[in-house]
Amino acid sequence: MVSIWQGSYREIVWGAFMSDAVDWDKSVSDVNNGVLAATGKPHPTFYVALGLSLVCLVIGIVAWALQITYGTGMAGLNSPVYWGVYITDFVFWVGIGHAGTLISAILFLFRAKWRNSINRSAEAMTVFAVITAGLFPLIHVGRVWLAAYWMVPLPNTNNLWVNFRSPLMWDVFAISTYLTVSLTFWYMGLVPDLASMRDRTRGYKRLIYGFLSFGWTGTLRQWHHYEAGYGFLAALATPLVLSVHSIVSWDFAMSVQPGWHTTIFPPYFVAGAILSGCAMVYTLVLPFRKMFNLEGFIRHEHLEALIKLTLLTSTIVAYAYGIEFFIAWYSGNPYEWIIFQKRAYGPYAFYFWVMTFCNCVFPLAFWSKKVRNNTTACFIICVLVNVGMWFERYNIIISSLVEDFIPGSWGHYEPSLTEIAITIGSFGWFFTWLLIFCRFFPFVSMSELKLIMPKPMRPKDKSLAA
Amino acid sequence: MSKQEVDELAKLAEKPEVFAPSGSFEAPVRDVKPGEYYAYAEERLPGITEVEGSVEADLPVSPQEKLATQGFSLDRRDVLRLFGASAVASSAGCIQRPEEHIVSYIRKPRDQVPGVATHYASTCDGCASSCGIVVKTKGGRPVKIEGHDEHPVSQGALCGVGQAGLQALYHPERLKGPRVRVGERLDETTWDDVFERIAKTLGSKAKIGILTGAPSGHALEFYKEVLSNMGQGEDQLYTWEPNGLFTSIAKAHEFAFGELDLPRVELSSAQLVVGISSDFLDVGTAPVFHGKGFSRGHAYALGKRGRFVAFESNYTLTGAKADERHVINPGAEVLVTLLLVRSLMEEPGSRGSVAQRKQIADILELQKSVLDEAYAKVGIEKTVFDELAHSLLQMPSVILAGGSSVFDHNATQLQLAAIFANILIGSYGATLMFEDGWMPCPVVPGDLKRLLSNAEDLDALIVVDTNPIFSAPPSWEVRKVLERIPFVVSIQNFPNEMDDVAEFVLPNNHYLESWGDAQPVAGFWSMRQPVVRSTTNSRQAEDILLWVLAYMEKSLPYKDYRAYLRKRWQKIYDMSGTKVSYDHFLQAVTRRGFVGRLQTRTVAELSNVRDHFRGLPEPLTELSLISPLDSRLHDGRYAHLPVLQEAGDPITTITWDTWAGFNPHTMEARGIRQGQVVKVKSSVGEIEVTAFAVPGVHKNLVVVPRGNGHQDHRSTISYKNGVNPLPLFLRAEDRYSGQPVTSNQKIEVVVTEKRYRLAALQKTSDIGERSDIIKKHSLATLKRNFNKKRDLDHVPDLFPKLEEGEYKWGMSIDLDRCTGCGACMIACSVENNVPQVGREQILLGRTMHWIRLDRYFHGDLNNPKATFQPVMCQHCNHAPCEAVCPVYATTHDEEGMNAMTYNRCVGTRYCANACPYKVRRFNWWTHKWGEMGKRQMDRNPRAVNPDVTVRTRGVMEKCSLCVGRIRDAKHVAKAEGRKVKDRDVRTACQQTCPADAIEFGNVKDPTSRISSLRTHYRAYTMLNGDPDHHHYGLKTLPSVNYLAEVTLKEAPGKKETGSGH
Repeated sequence: MVSIWQGSYREIVWGAFMSDAVDWDKSVSDVNNGVLAATGKPHPTFYVALGLSLVCLVIGIVAWALQITYGTGMAGLNSPVYWGVYITDFVFWVGIGHAGTLISAILFLFRAKWRNSINRSAEAMTVFAVITAGLFPLIHVGRVWLAAYWMVPLPNTNNLWVNFRSPLMWDVFAISTYLTVSLTFWYMGLVPDLASMRDRTRGYKRLIYGFLSFGWTGTLRQWHHYEAGYGFLAALATPLVLSVHSIVSWDFAMSVQPGWHTTIFPPYFVAGAILSGCAMVYTLVLPFRKMFNLEGFIRHEHLEALIKLTLLTSTIVAYAYGIEFFIAWYSGNPYEWIIFQKRAYGPYAFYFWVMTFCNCVFPLAFWSKKVRNNTTACFIICVLVNVGMWFERYNIIISSLVEDFIPGSWGHYEPSLTEIAITIGSFGWFFTWLLIFCRFFPFVSMSELKLIMPKPMRPKDKSLAA
Repeated sequence: MSKQEVDELAKLAEKPEVFAPSGSFEAPVRDVKPGEYYAYAEERLPGITEVEGSVEADLPVSPQEKLATQGFSLDRRDVLRLFGASAVASSAGCIQRPEEHIVSYIRKPRDQVPGVATHYASTCDGCASSCGIVVKTKGGRPVKIEGHDEHPVSQGALCGVGQAGLQALYHPERLKGPRVRVGERLDETTWDDVFERIAKTLGSKAKIGILTGAPSGHALEFYKEVLSNMGQGEDQLYTWEPNGLFTSIAKAHEFAFGELDLPRVELSSAQLVVGISSDFLDVGTAPVFHGKGFSRGHAYALGKRGRFVAFESNYTLTGAKADERHVINPGAEVLVTLLLVRSLMEEPGSRGSVAQRKQIADILELQKSVLDEAYAKVGIEKTVFDELAHSLLQMPSVILAGGSSVFDHNATQLQLAAIFANILIGSYGATLMFEDGWMPCPVVPGDLKRLLSNAEDLDALIVVDTNPIFSAPPSWEVRKVLERIPFVVSIQNFPNEMDDVAEFVLPNNHYLESWGDAQPVAGFWSMRQPVVRSTTNSRQAEDILLWVLAYMEKSLPYKDYRAYLRKRWQKIYDMSGTKVSYDHFLQAVTRRGFVGRLQTRTVAELSNVRDHFRGLPEPLTELSLISPLDSRLHDGRYAHLPVLQEAGDPITTITWDTWAGFNPHTMEARGIRQGQVVKVKSSVGEIEVTAFAVPGVHKNLVVVPRGNGHQDHRSTISYKNGVNPLPLFLRAEDRYSGQPVTSNQKIEVVVTEKRYRLAALQKTSDIGERSDIIKKHSLATLKRNFNKKRDLDHVPDLFPKLEEGEYKWGMSIDLDRCTGCGACMIACSVENNVPQVGREQILLGRTMHWIRLDRYFHGDLNNPKATFQPVMCQHCNHAPCEAVCPVYATTHDEEGMNAMTYNRCVGTRYCANACPYKVRRFNWWTHKWGEMGKRQMDRNPRAVNPDVTVRTRGVMEKCSLCVGRIRDAKHVAKAEGRKVKDRDVRTACQQTCPADAIEFGNVKDPTSRISSLRTHYRAYTMLNGDPDHHHYGLKTLPSVNYLAEVTLKEAPGKKETGSGH
């Protein structure tokens, strides 16, 4: 039994990274036509989605404006739960932002070919997710008008400097570095595609695309530099995948709160981030590929590989949950152990079980190839994984704060309407950017897709093949 | 004042005949005196005693003219010059100054240095116990009230109500000017109009009465004099005090010894205290004085500790502090006391004269059959009483009985029984002072009843600062009776129910704006002087009466109440036998705040009180209701003060509300869940109130405290907070004192489907297995380790030592002393401008208290032991909060303090998350005054302490160890070229603590109290593990340490502590 299990596990790991057996029904010559046609004229659902996103965005903006006007009290936060939904959202969006770089950089270095069909969407998701995440510290703080620039080490006449010992400060650097690198990486990948678009458009559009494509002509020399630079950026981005969420986890692990103060947090958070990222990519790619008619380019084999990666990270996350409990018990520290008991059986147990089922139990269905190839089932499970990952952060933050060391200070927490509205707004913000991006830029990396697609055959070759 | 005069006064102070410190009562308790003299109002605020003229320019007849026509040839100023003490003394150097208002000076008054505080000695008017206070004023504005260190009643401390006096002074809803009834409305009017019309009406009335609260000092005599001047009998004066303890104790002593007074209880010399339903630490006759005495007599010191045994049915704050607590049936108090008396009689060596013992034996014999059955009825074995009786005779001890709510018809009977017990243990003369410095009874028993029966004949009633419509049970029909009186004048500070029946509603001065005096103990006089000119268009009640008399052309020979006092004090001056002039004497007393030589007398042995024990009460076996006075809101008279509403009840921690306290088992048996609304019904009324489990309450008892439930919409703070339980009480009175009964009311409880959330400050009362939060040592352990010292700072540490300056501030909190009264919370809020947030925000958990009072129950749900723990910022030397702030808004200073820079804070709240003590408070809003959400008002900028920054929204705040006070002390020390001495700085919480539980000082000074307390064997720091076993917990190394609670019995099976992270 064990060997079979191990064998199939290896298959999953291997499959996640290396599978390249794809049943293509399109060839390289179809790429530009297929991808760019969809870009110009999206499915009507696109407009519905955009409208919905804008509505959500407006809800969020209004809620934030009210919060700035009246005070942080608009949120359900209190003493002792000083952090709540906003930080949950922050960690959630940073986590979402992880899959992009993993897929585009790490899998690029591993030469996993399947990533070429979804890396653009994953990177776009990363960039917008990190931008969304970056808003949350500002939404969260009490005095945003000061936090916006006091958190940055700007030289000033008061000689006031930021505190480099604070994990929040590390966050500022980690997130901004990550955003810069992933933005650069993403944009660099876009350049050849932008040039293709420039060549197909006229008038001011041509001018804009021409400006954006930096005069790309596709010469061998350009390609040579491009490949070298791309590889270099991929190598640069790879450690960031690990560092960003490690640092985000230190926001918690560096304080003395029971349930937060553990060394397992960095790998545990990274695994969780990748899990949520992969699930999010799947959740996004599935409707988008329909919306932009890209089913010929994003094949179900690619999606299956993504599901395998999700399954892999889900098992890592499940292991981390288990170890966390074990260490809490093994430490013999009453404060720590009581917190963990309360997570499972206390007043906030619901969130814990949502998290456990969504992140560890439901993805177990992915062991079945039938499920992996059933897009509806996969989509539902991936949405559930995202819900579960949101609740994982919620569970970690809330359950540790609500009842920590001193029973006399214990409290409770319920998100307020403002927090819910701002969370909805953050989805609106994210999807608005993503939809605008899809409308004007290729959602699939055309230049990279061509590398893995079958070469166009001349009639002679076709006959030979036959 | 010239230098010479100051010296003279200094000499005067040393004269033993004036300030004769004889006996423990007068000995100053605090070793450090803040200064020899406090300021003198007349000097700082010239003309403060003058009653300001009306703002109207065209006076029909000026008061001066009026007075002059009555053969009073002096005008107001002349009278003042002649009578005013310092005005005469210092008139040579005086110049006529323009009228000045309290905030903006056009010319700087003499001796008034901007930014430098002036202190005035005065007397608190919060309750009848008359604590001495020192009022700190800045720029002419009172900014803090503190206990007077040398005053023997307050001994430097003050309760929460006293601390809240400032909120009453600056309250935005104080009556702003006189009002007259026009139909249904009360219209604004002028004082002259008021005087004229009242005088005219009263002149035509045959029978005029005056109703007052418990008047202090000479006020009672004054009112009598006013009445007789109006041609009324002195019996037309009525007093009303809802605290039944005063009347029942006084009445019992009148029966027993022929004097209507209360004994002075010297708990400091009592090693064994027995309380029988006595809540002397919370709502008693003098809570601060008793708190001070109790902590000195009871708390652990030098290997010794007192013992306190409580018998009670309600779970009171005092009972929570008991070493042994017996839960008794409601109504069993008299029986329990008599059983104790019986055991005492049987005990060889019990005291009392032959006649006394004979009488007591007779009474016991008379009730033999009842008492024989009583052991079973109250559920306490005879051996308990026998052991107690034996112990009571071994050491100085005292028995205190009775609470604020009168126990059925037997309040006086209970006190008589307690008198027997005290006679038998020889308390009189040792711990109960009845012949030497007794406490005069501030009220006359049975007055309310007398008023109600005489009301038919009354044509007019002047009500001064009391509100029986609210504070007496509605079944007494006070409202109906007062409505029938044709002419009622109500002189109050705040709008209240009395306004509904009054023709005139006149604003009274706050006590900080008034002259007055008090006699807390016979022969001991405490002075009250105004420290600020009236902040609204109000006048002192006594002055109003004088002016009315003047308009009635029946003037008393006094310009104002101060002149009256001056006349009365002549007697005190004569008694003092001092050689200095009367003016000097008065000035010195006013500056000092008090004067006295205890009066002595000999009282009769024990009169025949056998008749009072003909019938004994039966302990109740059905569900019954008790409504004690609230320690903060009292009978409801302080319900409009947010700081008191927000401090919460010490046992339940419920704020802004009324609850019905049930025994948890009773709730379970009746299917009542926590937070469920229940209907409490009696034969006369019905209320809906939320059930709350209070462990330790007797199973047959429901406790609904008084104080809330005001229905007067003009007082927005108190409007509709909670419910008033008084409508449930049948009209019943104590058989002998005539006090309305507010307990032992038979009730029915009906569960409703409604639920209501009570805003409790603390949600969890069980400390579980957490062993490094509260520590306890048995007395035996402490004796064993008597010489063992601890070094709290000796902890293995990898970090480099922090930079340190000259001082390292530390605080020590003695859990054995802390009684949980919560005065510290209120003092801190007043000192540090901590906002009150209101019920809704507290429900969300957004309380702002810098110091919170954690209360944990241990043991049996039916009779738990409670431990109180004040928790403020621990000022950790390895502060988890400091490292995590991204903008350095919270940093460590070189004096060991964790400093907070409000300006720099951006509000990430990371520090608060990192804080394991959860003592940081975040400004979720820009807080206003009053209850947030529905009834908030702008904060009165005068009402904030100018020494402490007011924080806006988005900023974190926390205890600063009163850094402003440290700065002040350093400035003074620097000017004097020395270092800050021990007790130069006292934090607000330390200063006000009636139990002396908090000590603060420089740890680096080896002679300071704090450094010796930090090395005490009981010392520990919270969440820092068990250093004895090399567990250092979180190793935060706090500057605040606690001293473990002491138990008389060996603690069962000590647990190993957790090791932290």
